[in-house]
Amino acid sequence: MKKDMTKLGMTLMLFASLACASLAVVYAFTKESIDKQSEIQLQASLKELFPQATAFEPIQGLVSPDPNIKFEAAYEVKSDMAPLGLAMKATGPSYGGAATLLVGIDLHRSIAGVRVMALNDTPGLGMNASSPTYYVDKTKKVTFLGQFNEKFLTDPFEVKKDVVAITAATISSRSLTKIIKLAGDAAIAYMDQKAISAPAENGASADAGTDANAQPQAGGK
Amino acid sequence: MKKLYSIFKQGIIFDNPLLMLMIGLCSAIAVTTNVSNGIGMGLAMTFVLLFSEIIISLFRKLIPSMIRIPIFIIVIAAFTTMVDLVMKAYFPDLSKSMGVFIPLIVVNCIIMGRVEAFASKQNLASVIADALGMGLGYTWVLIAIAAVRELLGNGTLAGIQIMPASYQPILFFILPPGGFFVFSLFISLNIWFKKRMEASARNRELVAKKEAA
Repeated sequence: MKKDMTKLGMTLMLFASLACASLAVVYAFTKESIDKQSEIQLQASLKELFPQATAFEPIQGLVSPDPNIKFEAAYEVKSDMAPLGLAMKATGPSYGGAATLLVGIDLHRSIAGVRVMALNDTPGLGMNASSPTYYVDKTKKVTFLGQFNEKFLTDPFEVKKDVVAITAATISSRSLTKIIKLAGDAAIAYMDQKAISAPAENGASADAGTDANAQPQAGGK
Repeated sequence: MKKLYSIFKQGIIFDNPLLMLMIGLCSAIAVTTNVSNGIGMGLAMTFVLLFSEIIISLFRKLIPSMIRIPIFIIVIAAFTTMVDLVMKAYFPDLSKSMGVFIPLIVVNCIIMGRVEAFASKQNLASVIADALGMGLGYTWVLIAIAAVRELLGNGTLAGIQIMPASYQPILFFILPPGGFFVFSLFISLNIWFKKRMEASARNRELVAKKEAA
């Protein structure tokens, strides 16, 4: 009996180590490509949020007040030398596990845009947060994350009040909204501390950028 | 060759894993809200099923029956993780929209069931035929159900708007109850079709007997 057990254990170990070895090979083989994909995705999203930007400088020292939500990276967005805003990569809990969002904040203390970096959720429900064809406002074709564009951080950011929830995915909508709000607040605190602000420099950045229409508009509101 | 074809055929209608054996339904209901998810899940599942069945069949004489289940799970989990990594590396969009359901292939009863009931007893050729048949049977059902649910529940097919803009989507079909509803319709259709096929086979036999007499 004892001999049997050792033998069975050895067999199981053999199968497990073979499986591990083959997994290690596949992992090593795909790792580079996976890292490259997420880097490409990050750069592309940064560029989307700030089309006029020429440089994204990583900054440190932004700490999230909520222990569940982490700021993985933050970037000071610049066009030539003039600041355009801040981009925050924030991860927090959502309905289907951790969700990672990239939040852009412009100098007018409003959201420049939000992009999904990683999201695990129910396909067809919570997953609609990252769908470019799911509209919370069908007539105006506004996506769930699109509704945050040009939204001021002084707003309450409350789902079902000033934020439209994804149908049948209220928990996901709430968690994502919370991540956005927290990242936005932290970015604004940072901007206040470093005295990065709009008025004087804005002229310079508008000159540098070709498509600066959105900014004066947002400022005028 | 004929035997292999009949094994292959089993999985598509008569022993269809979803409609006749009725296993692996949870993930099937969950991913069929969108046609492209259905295709992706079907292919990923077929790949894992095929390779797990091949490996188990090759090693079936070396696997002690007392610890066969843990070994099956190790093999299945290894292939599932490989699919997950490869999808993340080369099809990031698909991987994003499938979310948590790819890792969950590990606990899909279809694979466990086929490995336990079929692959651990049969030779390589029949195992490949079985895996392809079952995989295809799984995939077509997913695509068909997803097409119905996406079209009625969202007005699109694989993300492309099909219904006119004035069409108000019936959200019921995207939600789980709609999934059960469409599923049960397909199950009844499949049983009806199977009964008809059996009846016509019996008729043919009778006719053949009469002619012989």
